[in-house]
Amino acid sequence: MTYEAKLGGFADHIAQGGKVEAEDWMPDDYRRGVLKFIEMHANSEIMGALPERECLPMAPTLRRKMSLAAKIQDEVGHAQLLYRVAEDLGKSRDAMYQDLVNGRSKFHNVFHYPVFHWGDVAIIGWLIDGAALVTQAALLDSSYAPYTRVLKRICSEEQLHLRHGEHITMELASGTQAQRDMFQDALNRWWLPIIHFFGPKSNVAKDLLLRWKVKTRTNEDLRQEFLDRYVPKVLELGFSFPTPVPTRAESGQWLIKDEDIDWDPLDAIKRNEGPETERRLTTRRDIYQGHRWVREVLAEPAVHAA
Amino acid sequence: MDVYEVFRRSGHKDPFEHCGSVIASDSEMALLMAKECFLRRREGQHLWVARRTDIHSFKDESLLEIAADKSYRFPEAYRDVVAKREKARARAREVGAAAGESNR
Amino acid sequence: MSDSLISLLTALGDDELILGHRHSEWTGFAPHIEEDVAFSSIAQDEIGHAAGYFGILGTLTGDDPDHIALGRAPEDYRNAVLCERANGEWAYTLARHWLYDTADDLRLEVLESSAHEELAQLATKMRREERYHLIHADAWIKRVAHGPVEGRTRLEGGLSRAFGEAIGLFEPFEREDDAIKEGWLPTASSELRRRFIDRASASLDELGLPTEVRAGVDEAAEFVASSSGDLIASGEEPPGQGTRSTGGGGRRGVHSDDFRQLWDDMTRTYREHPGATW
Repeated sequence: MTYEAKLGGFADHIAQGGKVEAEDWMPDDYRRGVLKFIEMHANSEIMGALPERECLPMAPTLRRKMSLAAKIQDEVGHAQLLYRVAEDLGKSRDAMYQDLVNGRSKFHNVFHYPVFHWGDVAIIGWLIDGAALVTQAALLDSSYAPYTRVLKRICSEEQLHLRHGEHITMELASGTQAQRDMFQDALNRWWLPIIHFFGPKSNVAKDLLLRWKVKTRTNEDLRQEFLDRYVPKVLELGFSFPTPVPTRAESGQWLIKDEDIDWDPLDAIKRNEGPETERRLTTRRDIYQGHRWVREVLAEPAVHAA
Repeated sequence: MDVYEVFRRSGHKDPFEHCGSVIASDSEMALLMAKECFLRRREGQHLWVARRTDIHSFKDESLLEIAADKSYRFPEAYRDVVAKREKARARAREVGAAAGESNR
Repeated sequence: MSDSLISLLTALGDDELILGHRHSEWTGFAPHIEEDVAFSSIAQDEIGHAAGYFGILGTLTGDDPDHIALGRAPEDYRNAVLCERANGEWAYTLARHWLYDTADDLRLEVLESSAHEELAQLATKMRREERYHLIHADAWIKRVAHGPVEGRTRLEGGLSRAFGEAIGLFEPFEREDDAIKEGWLPTASSELRRRFIDRASASLDELGLPTEVRAGVDEAAEFVASSSGDLIASGEEPPGQGTRSTGGGGRRGVHSDDFRQLWDDMTRTYREHPGATW
């Protein structure tokens, strides 16, 4: 069979809603595209552990200390699931890790920002995880089947995280003025990054991942779903949004004007020049490279003492 | 001859599930046997066999139990979020009213 | 009647809380992803054990367990210095994890027959989790000890740093004599210390690790109060002048600089918002 014939068959298979397994034939640009996408998702889970990890030592109760630890543990677990799926597409975890710590690959914009206090935990756990869940749930029907299988578990854990984040938020919202101020302060800092999280308007004609049905919905569609779902929930708690301020359209939808969105910070992050990019990557690089010996130990089967 | 454990999956979205075992001299024969024994009514679209001796488990499976309270890992622990939401809304109204008062 | 019980529970709970806090600092950074997940569970277990001890303590003192955990002044914490040391690299963490869980197993074994029924039951429950901690720690120590030379060398370094201070886990706590008389702690710290040194030494010998890793341990040492009030082991120089640390002091609230930073982070949110609920 010629390459063109195989490609045609693959395209038909995808068009009819067919799924792809790691061992199936796939065009190189499909493999590359899926790998890059899942690798970035995996990177984001492991880098996403860090902002919350920075808040973990200051947890205000024993139970929050354990539940936040468990929540971050889940995120690391998601990285484990995703790196395994990505590895089966032909790139080793070590290669992906080297690319990550040396700034050659990417991770989601929201994990390039600093955290200051417990209000950040509320925002990350509720609104950022809420945003992530909207985007991840949209991938459950992706054409790449191994990805969808791990996403099932990831999404169900994210549901739990969302509850956990909302739980923390509600406690702050019904607490002292200082606690309410913590949430508002965090919201002021995180709102624009959350809007950036969905990315600019998708170019449907050019987006290979949409064409191959790896992704099934556009960025603007996902952002709209997020706004409609969460803006009213934040407002009813008596908090307010900074720029870009969402406004209610006659249709009932919550809209953000494109001209209100400053994209410069996102562009800087795409160059790996976010406020915390360098520090977090350096820490991870130092620990990773300083512990090569650990991976060497694990690479050898146990020798049992005589 | 070895025991081969048999796993099948009905579609791409599901995990493989164990469905039985066969005794065979190699994996080729194990697959052929398993196909008709376990998938002859379209019970699955994917089939795996694995030699039983290649499957490992803890000798003492009580290790897998969760001994102490880990309720915070489960959704049930956050059910009271509904009541907390109500409390937060009430607090927001209280704060809003106070703000309105001071603006007058 | 309960002062000695309070003192015992404070020491036990603080060890677990502070070590759990340190362990949890690896979250997201452990040198291997699967191990990151595994070690987080161990951290959560230790913090959970602290919550267990503080729960009983709270019924005696009327204090909220979170207040006990996060609302005390630094000098009121009674954890052994070993638990508060900064994580350093994985080899030190591993050495401490193994030494601590070996010690804790011996301690829980005797607490299972404490005269305080609730404490005895808690010890039984915790020991089930500790069993996994020990399997985990043993598997790692064995692999590293028998593995490539770099790991083995680092492990020896970690053990050398941690072993001497692990003895501080058996520094007598305040009113220990009363606690023994009442049966809250059925076996004295000095006897537990002997058992610990025997068991850990035998394991290290079995792994073929050099005896130098135990250089910090003075098997004959007794913790006695020095003229300055600090606890030192007899037959040794006072801390600062001597050659090695016995890891003592923690049970009387004398901590290292590492603790100060930890305390500051750990209690910040709680301290800055008195009376708030979370």
